[in-house]
Amino acid sequence: MKLYNDVLRQMRALLPAVPTKRAVYAAKLCAPDGEKDRILFAADTAYELGGGGKQSAEAVLFADLPEGQSETLLYGPDLSEISSDVSFGHFTVVKLKETEEAALSSERLKTVGFTVFQLYPAGYHIRISPAAGKEQVRVARAALQKNPPLSFLNVGSSLIKAFLKQPDVENVQTVFITDPAFDYKALSVLAGKAKKITDAVQSTLQLDELDCASCKMKPICDEIDGLRELHFRKEGKR
Amino acid sequence: METKVFAFTGKGGVGKTSLSAAFIRILSETYPEKRILAVDADPAVGLSAALGTEPKKTIDDVRLQIAESIEKGEMNAAAELLSESRFHLLDCITERGNISFLAIGRPEAAGCYCKVNAYLKQVIETISGNYDFVVIDGEAGIEQINRRVLEHINYLVLVTDGSRKGLQVTETIRGVAERLVSCEKTGVIVNRVPGDFVPELPDLLAVIGDDRRQCENDMRGESVFSLPQDSPLYLGAKKALEKLLGDDDETV
Repeated sequence: MKLYNDVLRQMRALLPAVPTKRAVYAAKLCAPDGEKDRILFAADTAYELGGGGKQSAEAVLFADLPEGQSETLLYGPDLSEISSDVSFGHFTVVKLKETEEAALSSERLKTVGFTVFQLYPAGYHIRISPAAGKEQVRVARAALQKNPPLSFLNVGSSLIKAFLKQPDVENVQTVFITDPAFDYKALSVLAGKAKKITDAVQSTLQLDELDCASCKMKPICDEIDGLRELHFRKEGKR
Repeated sequence: METKVFAFTGKGGVGKTSLSAAFIRILSETYPEKRILAVDADPAVGLSAALGTEPKKTIDDVRLQIAESIEKGEMNAAAELLSESRFHLLDCITERGNISFLAIGRPEAAGCYCKVNAYLKQVIETISGNYDFVVIDGEAGIEQINRRVLEHINYLVLVTDGSRKGLQVTETIRGVAERLVSCEKTGVIVNRVPGDFVPELPDLLAVIGDDRRQCENDMRGESVFSLPQDSPLYLGAKKALEKLLGDDDETV
């Protein structure tokens, strides 16, 4: 899907040239599962990523990825190297299977995109505000005291595993950012644009309108390259 | 251990909030290793003061914030709404030792509290599994019983004073609760009783006289944690709690 390419290119341009850590996806790297609805209490929390008034941004983008395996990238200190609340960025690039893309429905796109809401690694309490595009994470003291301590590479693998369970997903790259010098505000703006594209794609896939002049999506289709083509390709398949 | 849920209800002004707070303190002291959730479900918002805590955000604040996001078109799918709710919920929980505190808040719009009561019910159901004990200081009267906000509880504590009106309200709530609430035990605490009057009630938990020290504590703006352990309120609450837990205490 080429719709997100421009936003993704700008996101990548914000990142340092080389990641601090990189790991190709392997099931054995996955963090142990926690429980749904389990609260990590403040008293048991070492710090909160994006908490305490620090900045945070979260996005899921559907775009092309280089051939190869899914991977986790980290820019900045890992979980065990952080001691207090820090600004936090996290975006995930999902490559959909080419054969599935044209047949993609609004519901299936939602199902894939919402994978991030259903991740409960033990000792890593994620909370996401779709309205504000924020992701904050309470990290348990106990998880950091383990040997080896919980790492973003474990959490990234868990997230990738969850995405790969979706039949439409071919490849995933998930990027964590804790670098204090990173421009989180710029990432937040771009994450907002990515969400706007996802919302527009979902709306377009639901629309039956064939006359662009009278369609409510016209201003968005004019702005996002490829959206109109996606809609008419879907209509052509009917 | 399964979560034990206590709910306090009764006529207005009979001391439900002071007794809820005393229960919370006693549970916290008796079971320091257990987690307790204190829920101020009364829009009159008194439990926070009784516990000496100040919520940063209330359930009603979250409900309004989510409603506003929906109106702005920022979210529409159920999964997004659930995630948004979970995001803000953590900010509503104030922690003090082994006690977490959550308040319904005071809806500013005139009219009924149905929406926030419905949301409160969902919130309690979602997070109560994190706790060993949940103590709910309910709104006066039968609204929250009728609305089934307090639908699945273990112990229903009916609080009254010695007045005929108070006892009548207690019987009305009991009747409604018997039909609508799934509850293991019900008990009555008669509070602020002048003299030696002891009403005849089959499930009487405790009779508490006028408590000058509680009154002074309250007037000084002190929390329930400053109340002497030999004060009538503390002793009465302790007795009631022991009677309610009874055999269950061994499983706690």
